[in-house]
Amino acid sequence: MANMIMASSRTLIRASTVSPPPPPSQKLPILNHITLPRLQLPLLNNLSLQIPIPHPNQTLKSLSVLAATSLALAPPSLAVEIEKAALFDFNLTLPIIMVEFLLLMVALDKVYFSPLGKFMDERDAAIREKLSSVKDTSSEVKQLEEQAVAVMKAARAEISAALNQMKKETQAEVEEKIAEGRKKVEAELQEALASLEKQKEETIKSLDSQITALSQEIVKKVLPTV
Amino acid sequence: MNILLCSVNTLKTFFEISSVEVGQHLYWQLGGFQVHAQVLITSWVVIAILLVSAILVVRNPQTIPTFGQNFFEYVLEFIRDVSKTQIGEEYGPWVPFVGTMFLFIFVSNWSGALLPWKIIQLPHGELAAPTNDINTTVALALLTSVAYFYAGLSKKGLAYFGKYIQPTPILLPINILEDFTKPLSLSFRLFGNILADELVVVVLVSLVPLVVPIPVMFLGLFTSGIQALIFATLAAAYIGESMEGHH
Repeated sequence: MANMIMASSRTLIRASTVSPPPPPSQKLPILNHITLPRLQLPLLNNLSLQIPIPHPNQTLKSLSVLAATSLALAPPSLAVEIEKAALFDFNLTLPIIMVEFLLLMVALDKVYFSPLGKFMDERDAAIREKLSSVKDTSSEVKQLEEQAVAVMKAARAEISAALNQMKKETQAEVEEKIAEGRKKVEAELQEALASLEKQKEETIKSLDSQITALSQEIVKKVLPTV
Repeated sequence: MNILLCSVNTLKTFFEISSVEVGQHLYWQLGGFQVHAQVLITSWVVIAILLVSAILVVRNPQTIPTFGQNFFEYVLEFIRDVSKTQIGEEYGPWVPFVGTMFLFIFVSNWSGALLPWKIIQLPHGELAAPTNDINTTVALALLTSVAYFYAGLSKKGLAYFGKYIQPTPILLPINILEDFTKPLSLSFRLFGNILADELVVVVLVSLVPLVVPIPVMFLGLFTSGIQALIFATLAAAYIGESMEGHH
């Protein structure tokens, strides 16, 4: 590897013009990745043009020192070559994203937020209304039940009142009739009693006359000689 | 000398394997300006995902929802809840803003983590979550700033600027500073989280591609979801703070 460096730096020293980068195999290890600085020959060119070619051992040492310093000093002068990691790169993308977001907001509102939101609210209101209406009808039903009970009570009261009235009337009639009948029966009874008395008296009277006759006969028979 | 060359060579082999690309963008020219094409492309994909899925699912809303409609209703209720908690009773007009913020950031972050972007090779740079670019996050943070200014001004008029001397005028410089730190913190929090998570995953995959990156990927999914929620919640909080009445 040391020889490689020596060889490459020798060619550098000889070439005075800045040439396009030679193939990778001759250069110092090049990191292919773009975030690391590419070490290009022109730098070594700048540093080493003035140095005469000394003894190989001394060349090796001085060139190694050169290589180290060049590596260390690479970043500032290679600013053109490094591809900057552009993290804070503000450009037209910013307003474009703003516009995109606003358009997306309007579109989503028209397609999703408003229609679905309205639908959900209506559904909520409908359900709430149904719930409250169900509660109302149950109280209505209670009212109707109470009315029915009241009506029934009234009807029953009417019926019993009418019944009582009728009972009273018929009872009065019945009592009347009974009284009439009783009277008749009593009258007849009196008549019959009276006629029986009469008959009794008549029989007694007839009996009396018969008793007298009989007693005279008895006397006659008992006292024939008299 | 040998040691130097050996170390340089090993470093070179490492980098040839890993090829971590940080801060490399695909540039397009629009007029006199440059744009980061990879951010635009991925943002278009995210927008397409959001709009197409919303249109497909919300087409015919049923009283008894289908699975998709139920999911979208859940998301909408969640967003409404966040807005209502932060803003208060007048949260209605702000639901689209907060919701779009949440959905855009969430889908961006998860698309960056889940979708196989590497299949598409760009000439320069690579496709990833659009929120790993400072332009996106600063754009969203600036929109949030504009939103809370608009909220305060539309509700209170010029009396809105009275809030700078609440509760005491001594805090005026701090209150003014807040107007700069709010978007700054919002943007950098999101940017740092997403970019760092991507970097960690890429480096781990380059070193130990088999099992080790998986927990970090799950962590990434979790934190990126949380970051979306945090961004949206903070946006709503700032809006609510500008709109709130007298103390």
